[in-house]
Amino acid sequence: MDFHYIITLTVPLLQGTVVTLAIFAITLVISVPLGFLVTLGLNSKNGLIKGFCETYVYILRGTPLLLQILFVYFGLPLIPWIGKYLTFSRFASACIAFVLNYSAYFGEIFRGGLLAIDPGQYEAAKVLGLTRYETMTRVIIPQMIRVCLPSVANETITLLKDTALVTVIGVTEMLHYAKTEVNRDGTPFPFVIAAVLYLIINFFLTWIFKYLEKRYEQ
Amino acid sequence: MNNNQNNHVIHVTNLSKHFGDNEVLKKINFDVDRGDVIAIIGSSGSGKSTLLRCLIDLEQADGGTIMIKDRKLVDEGVQAPQKEKTAIIADMGMVFQHFNLFPNLTVRENLELTPKLRHVGTDEEIEARMEYYLDKVGMSHRADAKPSTLSGGEKQRVAIARALMMQPEILLFDEPTSALDPELTGEVLKVMEQLASEHMTMVVVTHEMGFARQAASKVLFMNDGIILEEGTPDDIFNHPKEERTKAFLSSIDR
Repeated sequence: MDFHYIITLTVPLLQGTVVTLAIFAITLVISVPLGFLVTLGLNSKNGLIKGFCETYVYILRGTPLLLQILFVYFGLPLIPWIGKYLTFSRFASACIAFVLNYSAYFGEIFRGGLLAIDPGQYEAAKVLGLTRYETMTRVIIPQMIRVCLPSVANETITLLKDTALVTVIGVTEMLHYAKTEVNRDGTPFPFVIAAVLYLIINFFLTWIFKYLEKRYEQ
Repeated sequence: MNNNQNNHVIHVTNLSKHFGDNEVLKKINFDVDRGDVIAIIGSSGSGKSTLLRCLIDLEQADGGTIMIKDRKLVDEGVQAPQKEKTAIIADMGMVFQHFNLFPNLTVRENLELTPKLRHVGTDEEIEARMEYYLDKVGMSHRADAKPSTLSGGEKQRVAIARALMMQPEILLFDEPTSALDPELTGEVLKVMEQLASEHMTMVVVTHEMGFARQAASKVLFMNDGIILEEGTPDDIFNHPKEERTKAFLSSIDR
């Protein structure tokens, strides 16, 4: 096995890595704010909103992510009447399923973070005359982020690995190319390269979260 | 508006408060005049913290009237609109038992947060004000520290400085030294005595009888949701009339 062969195996995998990272980044960028909205909904005094968010979290956490991906891509278009409006490309379907799933998880993580904050913080903010919005953005959320960071780091690393699941609806991400090469050449080596690529990305993720934890240290 | 109300910065009539079936405050009446230092003493569960918290809307009274300067926070059990309440409590500052500094901000940022959000002056003016109050509580050297690196006494002094930043007319203290190690209470009490000597209007819920004796202009003894006895420190500590007052005083630190 020469160096040139390794390169020819790796190049398609790198193409797949771009797709992997795209799904990863899109999911993260949308599901973190959406997760925070879910948290607000879970804490809402409005029973309807609270009930909706609880049901949402229950369903999305209670069913396999793989099933959700299959449902968005194959299931939604089959719904009578509205199905034709719910038909998405492979890539879009993958992103939608991931965003919905991870918003539920982030919602629960942030809810835990809010619970960890001393009620005295809200009282101090109130007597100092901060508005509700200022209290959240200046006092509560920065403290919540600090509490949540380890769980968010964990979830983010899981997300990166979970992107491999979208290979079932034929999205051409990293693992898709690795599998193709293994079948074509009869060697397990592409799997090893894929594993190394995941590890390299996770090395950077771990480093970024370490940095963030340091920054939010109190 | 009559003269009587003009003299009082806090005017409380028939204040009552329930937690479920538990009647915590039973038709309380009391007044605070400008420059008064009121010490509220009494055993735990007597309602003294609840009374203080009602004054600044951390608890909502369910009966009676609370007047702060010339505005009604609660009128015959009816709460003022939220906007009005926000304006009313802006005249007051509060110091908590557990400090409640914002741990994500430095000492400087804790002090400057509200003044900057409310644009009470230029950044230089706010900075100067921050330095003035930090110096007052002897904490200038720790302006850039995070609260987690301070001792309890230091945290409380910073909390007092923070409460002063919006220049309130009235300062409320809820057991400001109760969470401190005994050797750290002195530094906080010294700051409070200094404020008292500068005629800051203060209402202090406290277990520090030494402070009540020395700095208070009036002492209220609370028992079971009522103000059982009130008077000068000399009245309360040297000539208590009520049996419960005598029993309480003899049960503590002597």
